[in-house]
Amino acid sequence: MMNFRTFILGLAASFGIPWLCLIVIPAMKYQQLTPVAYDKEKDGVEGFYPPAPINGQGQLIYIREGCNQCHTQMIRPVQLGLDGWYKGWGQDQEARPTTPARPNELRDYLGEKYALLGIQRVGPDLANFGWRAPEAAKLHVHLFAPRSVHDWSTMPAYTKLYKVQKIQGPASDRALKLPKKFAVPAGYEVVPTPEADRLVEYLLSLKKDYPVPGQAAAVAAAAAPAKK
Amino acid sequence: MQTSPSTPDTDLQADNLRRAAIDKSVRGPVLFLFTNGAFWLMLSTLLGVLAAIKLVEPEFLGDCQYITYGRLQPAHINALVYGWGVQAALGVMLWIMARRSGQELKSGKSLLITAGVFWNITITVGILAILMGKSTSIEWLEMPKFVWPVLLICFLCFAWPIARMFGRAFRPEGFMVSTWYILGACFWFPWIFITANVALHCLPGLGALGAGIDAWYIHGVILLFFVPVGIGAAYYFIPKITGQPIASAQLASAGFWTLAILGGWTGMQKYMGGPLPAWMSAIGAATGVLLLIPVGLVGLNHHLTTLGKHSAVAASPTLRFVFFGALFYPVSGLILALNSAFWTGAGLQFTQSWYSFQVVSVYGFFSMCVFGAIYYIVPRLSGCEWLSVRLIRNHFWFSVYGVSTIVIMSLVAGWQQGADLNNPEHWDQTFMNHVVNSRAYVVSRAVAWALISFSNFMFLIHLLLMVAGLGRRSSAPTLLHHEHDDHALPAHA
Repeated sequence: MMNFRTFILGLAASFGIPWLCLIVIPAMKYQQLTPVAYDKEKDGVEGFYPPAPINGQGQLIYIREGCNQCHTQMIRPVQLGLDGWYKGWGQDQEARPTTPARPNELRDYLGEKYALLGIQRVGPDLANFGWRAPEAAKLHVHLFAPRSVHDWSTMPAYTKLYKVQKIQGPASDRALKLPKKFAVPAGYEVVPTPEADRLVEYLLSLKKDYPVPGQAAAVAAAAAPAKK
Repeated sequence: MQTSPSTPDTDLQADNLRRAAIDKSVRGPVLFLFTNGAFWLMLSTLLGVLAAIKLVEPEFLGDCQYITYGRLQPAHINALVYGWGVQAALGVMLWIMARRSGQELKSGKSLLITAGVFWNITITVGILAILMGKSTSIEWLEMPKFVWPVLLICFLCFAWPIARMFGRAFRPEGFMVSTWYILGACFWFPWIFITANVALHCLPGLGALGAGIDAWYIHGVILLFFVPVGIGAAYYFIPKITGQPIASAQLASAGFWTLAILGGWTGMQKYMGGPLPAWMSAIGAATGVLLLIPVGLVGLNHHLTTLGKHSAVAASPTLRFVFFGALFYPVSGLILALNSAFWTGAGLQFTQSWYSFQVVSVYGFFSMCVFGAIYYIVPRLSGCEWLSVRLIRNHFWFSVYGVSTIVIMSLVAGWQQGADLNNPEHWDQTFMNHVVNSRAYVVSRAVAWALISFSNFMFLIHLLLMVAGLGRRSSAPTLLHHEHDDHALPAHA
């Protein structure tokens, strides 16, 4: 039928082609990807896209705790899912935004070692969480006692990111304001550790819908007539 | 041993002696891999129970940071894939290749055992690291990055002698397709494993492309490692036990090459509609559906081979497991196609149907075939027969019902989650509907993993007794539907 060498060559060729086309060449091309400058006239903004690197320290906590098991960071285009129209999932926090949040692009994750696109969507998408996030103090309460926000929540309580300490002298101004049901014993307070602060900074920095150079103008133009 | 000294046929006797010599030569490494694999399987199913409970009730066992869902779930999957899956696969590959090529394992037995020991130590460290908070959050590669070179070297220590046996015994005609699949698995796994690890751990960061490569890696390990080993075992044991030759060599060959050609393309459709270039997920989706071709070809071939031999399926534990494993193969192909096609995949994306695919291919298909292989191989290596029909039967039924429950429930839950996510009425709602509606399915998952853990406990005990040489001293194999006929042949121990 065929000899050993042909067999091995067949195996190598049949797997080598997809390996080369799907992994090696795209990976090499990706290495050359750089931020693009906005065109002030066309885009109406200055600077570079994507503008700011993410908070790497906080992302390490996110990675360590396996948050991506339940939270995605990827907005799908409207033909595939409702993501873009979900209330507050984009920059526009109004009740009925005129345009859906834009789907994510390759450059949105530039500078991240590994994009945490997510495995399942047990909880809401976090790609643009920074826009809808409550103030940091409330986010700390959410992380410390998720069920104080929603009693049906299945999010784990990350109590180990916080320190329960005896109040000595005046109470810390960073102490979490917990609802009665979740409060710690009298005389104690809960303060965030530096790790919790980094995690919250990271979550607040999640705004992956910066305008895409060349596209922002088109989107604005399309949206404008609809408003009339 | 399965030798029957009373037979007058000297050819047959010489054949039996040769087989016994081959079995003896691979005895140590194969039994080592099976027993350690069975321990990991036990642990992984227990972690599966715990992870499912934590997904419903995060306060179960307190707010301990080591056992949050985000750490348990990867530990569960890694134990299943690397602890049990790869290890048991290597054992089966080594034995089948030695037997099929008629070669004894000449040397390097101690090297194989050492590699096995290192494999287990590394996995233990890796999984503990995930629980302790060193997870990389790269799906299926969550173990810290120092782990992969060790695993790779250990794997190659096994793959090399297997490939050598294949090379030495390669005959263009009359060579069975099962060894093609096994050689393929030896060849593809290191390639996929090195590519994914170098790309994700050594290159300076690939962002969203890294996520795509990870999805490709998972599909590659399933389709080009677990699936070939499962099919290889099925192609070996089904003809062996039914006494029928494989129905069609053309079908077998076409099934192999279509898998080889299509398998490397699929995976990135997991992030369809995402930041990856659209052609990548499109090609993944297309091949995910086209993979129904090799699935259909292999399924048809197995069907034609077992036609009219279904009484053997009832009687032989090996055939029963392999047969049901082979039935799960088309199911896994179908679930892959459902997850891949844009039409259905958009609804099933980011839902439990992804878990359904992993479980049906790694547990439903691959592990069931490997259980069958273990029920055949271990008596020949340990020199005694399986002790109890009841233990085997319980193992079988609990596994079949447990896996079916998880697969069906996760798939239906995926559909439900997708419907909730894309329900226009939910656009300004919290995730309450989403969480509450999927709760029942996760509870059923926990119950099913508990049943499977129970069955694996029986399997582990049974296997340990066999390895310790405490099985039945008999020349009659343990069959499921006949009384043991211990007196038909004189028992020789």
